[in-house]
Amino acid sequence: MTNNKATHERHKRVAAAQPGFLPVKSSLDGNSSVIKPRKRVNKNKKKSWNKFSDIQDVEEFLDDVRLQERATGGLISEKTDDSLFFVDTGETDEKDTQAQTTVKKGKHSKPLRIDLILQPDSHIPAPKNILAFQQPNAKKQRRISENAAKLAAKGVLPRREKLLQLRRAAAASGVSVKEHPVANNNPDRAFYDLWSAGTPETADPYYLEQTKKKLVKRPDRLNEKPSVLPAIEVIAPGGSYNPDFFSHQDLLREAHEVEVKKQKAEEKLARQLAVNEDKATEESTFKEQVEGLIEEEEIEPKEPEGDTEDTVIGPTATQEKKTEKQRKKEKAKRIKDLQRKAERQVIDKQQQLFQLRSIHTSLKKQEQRTKMRQAQRKAQQEAQKSMPRRLSRLKFQTPDLDVQLSDELASSLRSLKPEGSILKDRFKSLQKRNIIEPRERARFKRKYKLKYSEKRAFREIE
Amino acid sequence: MGGLQKKKYESGSVTNYVSRNKARKKLSLSLADFRRLCILKGIYPHEPKHKKKVNKGSTAPRTFYLLKDIRFLLHEPIVGKFREYKIFVRKLRKAYGKAEWSGVQRMKENKPAYKLDHIIKERYPTFIDAVRDVDDALSMSFLFSTFARTGKCHVQTIQLCRRLSVEWMNYIIASRSLRKVFLSIKGIYYQAEVLGQTITWIIPYQFAHDHPTDVDYRVMATFTELYTTLLGFVNFRLYQTLNLVYPPKLDGQGEFSLKSECEEDYALESESYSEKLSALSASLARTVPLVEDEEAELDLFPAEGVRYKMVCCSFFIFLFILFFLRSEGTNSIMCCTLCRCFGGQVSWDKSLCIGSTYDETDETITHHIVDRPTIDKQYINRYYIQPQWVYDCVNGKILLPVEEYFLGVTLPPHLSPFVEESEGDYVPPEKLKLQALQRGEKPQAEDDDEEEEEDDDDDDEDDQSEDEDEANLAEMEEKRAQGKSLSVKVTPGKVKPENRMRAEQEEKAEEKRLAIMMMKKKEKYLYDKIMFGKKRHVREANKLAAKRKAHDDSNKADKKKKKKKC
Repeated sequence: MTNNKATHERHKRVAAAQPGFLPVKSSLDGNSSVIKPRKRVNKNKKKSWNKFSDIQDVEEFLDDVRLQERATGGLISEKTDDSLFFVDTGETDEKDTQAQTTVKKGKHSKPLRIDLILQPDSHIPAPKNILAFQQPNAKKQRRISENAAKLAAKGVLPRREKLLQLRRAAAASGVSVKEHPVANNNPDRAFYDLWSAGTPETADPYYLEQTKKKLVKRPDRLNEKPSVLPAIEVIAPGGSYNPDFFSHQDLLREAHEVEVKKQKAEEKLARQLAVNEDKATEESTFKEQVEGLIEEEEIEPKEPEGDTEDTVIGPTATQEKKTEKQRKKEKAKRIKDLQRKAERQVIDKQQQLFQLRSIHTSLKKQEQRTKMRQAQRKAQQEAQKSMPRRLSRLKFQTPDLDVQLSDELASSLRSLKPEGSILKDRFKSLQKRNIIEPRERARFKRKYKLKYSEKRAFREIE
Repeated sequence: MGGLQKKKYESGSVTNYVSRNKARKKLSLSLADFRRLCILKGIYPHEPKHKKKVNKGSTAPRTFYLLKDIRFLLHEPIVGKFREYKIFVRKLRKAYGKAEWSGVQRMKENKPAYKLDHIIKERYPTFIDAVRDVDDALSMSFLFSTFARTGKCHVQTIQLCRRLSVEWMNYIIASRSLRKVFLSIKGIYYQAEVLGQTITWIIPYQFAHDHPTDVDYRVMATFTELYTTLLGFVNFRLYQTLNLVYPPKLDGQGEFSLKSECEEDYALESESYSEKLSALSASLARTVPLVEDEEAELDLFPAEGVRYKMVCCSFFIFLFILFFLRSEGTNSIMCCTLCRCFGGQVSWDKSLCIGSTYDETDETITHHIVDRPTIDKQYINRYYIQPQWVYDCVNGKILLPVEEYFLGVTLPPHLSPFVEESEGDYVPPEKLKLQALQRGEKPQAEDDDEEEEEDDDDDDEDDQSEDEDEANLAEMEEKRAQGKSLSVKVTPGKVKPENRMRAEQEEKAEEKRLAIMMMKKKEKYLYDKIMFGKKRHVREANKLAAKRKAHDDSNKADKKKKKKKC
């Protein structure tokens, strides 16, 4: 673009300097005497400008200028005489022949014709690509570097430099600057005195909490344990590796009872689920009910049809409008009833005076009952504290008692075979103490159905 | 009238509770993370009183949390860490997928981690609170320390648990705070008294675990994460109270390193120290060197008298005893803990385990603990006993006679020290014998069993005589109820020596009788009921005792027959 612009300027300049080239205005003034009938043309569009203005002479002239420039490297009129003309002394012939001979001698040095053709014959130098020599953001970078130099003179280092220096110093001393947080299960992790009394905080606790300098206080309610059961429940004395006979029997009995209970429940379930072959079905009961009636039924039902309609209509028909007399009578009766009731109440109240003792006893009984119920409820609440609560879809399942039968007992510590798993025991204990909710293992659920297809190789074999 | 109509389930107990899923969404955590957070922070699910109200009319059982608890969780900085970790995992997975190994490396180096220190401080505001709650932590870390290095949990966790449990055991030895040990079929129950708190924990036998499938390992790992942190801080503080160096260092280490020639067989150079620590056979280094007060204590007991004598200070029952262990596996370690905990010294075969302190040939060894029925080479000046002796001694707090625990002898039953009998309960005769020994009575020679049994019966009678007057009264009442009149006879009188004590007692009994007579009808009824209950209890206990005697007799008869046959 810049190149084009420059050439354009030059052309303008050259055109203006030519004697035969008249400025636009002057030409208008000069040709005013020989005015052709002006063609009226809209000049609001560039297209019409080009169409109706004659620029042939200008084009020709400019072509000529370009030709001169191409051939000689400038306008011939501007050239010095020395460059255009020379004095022919005739000596040049020798030189020419000599040059020819030298050319002939060096056969290889003669350029190919094709190369000569491809040689640019224009004397105008090719324009330079300015972009190729330009640096992007040069100004900004210069400013930055200047700024950095200024800061460096003051002694302020950039961050990257500072970090680099720190890293170098650390490497030299053998300590890493950035401490990676230690994993919680790192076996070599260090501990310290967590409960040592540090410097007490003097600042406003609300301020500290809001600015996250202090954690929000844990409510006291959270430090209560959800169950009163101890963390470790020691096994019964019968669970010793070398138990006393009777305590062992006790434990066995306990385990046996649990087992029996379980079995009973299972049996009950099985009984309830069992399909009884000769159980009465709807059909069979119906048959039973209808047995012996079927023949009669076929004859009977048609007869009572007319009667049934009548009986349905009957009650509605009897409801006639009450007479005034009836109404009055009823009202009087109602009033009388009410009066009688009120009188009865008054009498009853009076009679209660004589029932004082029995009332007293009944009251006492009631009180006693409430007290008993209160006590019961309290006892139940106390018992609940040590019971596993219902915390999820599943109920807490008490684990099986760990028991070794008499013939399984080890004779010595060496041959002891441990019973049960402590891991499971701990897990169940956590559930029992309501610390975690009982849960069953999440089963794998396939999102999409499996699709089976035969492999091509297999198909081919078949 | 008028006003806005109240909508259902917008006020009252519904507003106090929030379902698990809602809580999870409020915290914007995944279920696993939510569960982890709840475990770490000690937030437990709640069972609402009126489920239908809370559950908006539905009776389906669900997990509920208190809304205030969840609001409290919102302040927890760890929640942010969880989210960070989630993003870390996502980035890592992406880098893996794109096979950007340098990126993976860099990310792994900057893996986000969180600390639980502040949570421990928050949940256990004082040190004693933490000590009180250390039961669970101990059981869990002892359990995890026995896990094999399978994929069930991180190897690092196992190592940390091992370190912490060894530290704890070392503390127990140094502080001599072990009280009870019980070998059960499940594992070994220990009870210690630390800073006035009774702490019970269970240690599994060190055999291969069969990993149960119905246990959520992720939940257990989270608990372990919390508990290891707790236990670490507790250990640190406990070591401080004893002026011990933390992390524990062996006392006189230079001597040790000279001694150990065959160490390399057991452990790598890096691990041998921790292995030696975990052998528990050497004492620990103190920050302030101990003044020799132990030796002063030594002089309190003349050497001869210690044996078979009730030792007032139960901490030092094994004071003059050098043990030598020859039992398999971890039993030795357990025994060692016990022995050292009560003042003894322990060693074992060099080829068996690392950390032995003296040889088998040492002349000063007094007790040789063997778990095999026979042993080839026996030294004359030491007892060869079975390991149960040590445990029973610890539980009885005295040195038991060794005769019952010799090699090849059927051992007396190992009683649970955790059972505390109330008055009138059935007490097994072995325990009675132990109690007699504790009272300082001389045990009968083993040969005349019958005498001993009579002794037992005497004990029973003693027990009964403690509530003598009640029994007397009961007898009287029984007789009266039956309508039998006391037989009347005149016999020549004897001059009774006046016994002051006796008279006093009689007076008391008389007073009581009068008091009973003065009772109202209602109170009398109650009193009779109580007495009846007590009597029934005693009767049951007597029945059990009789049964036991019959059982023993039959056993004895069998034995005698066998002997005759032989």
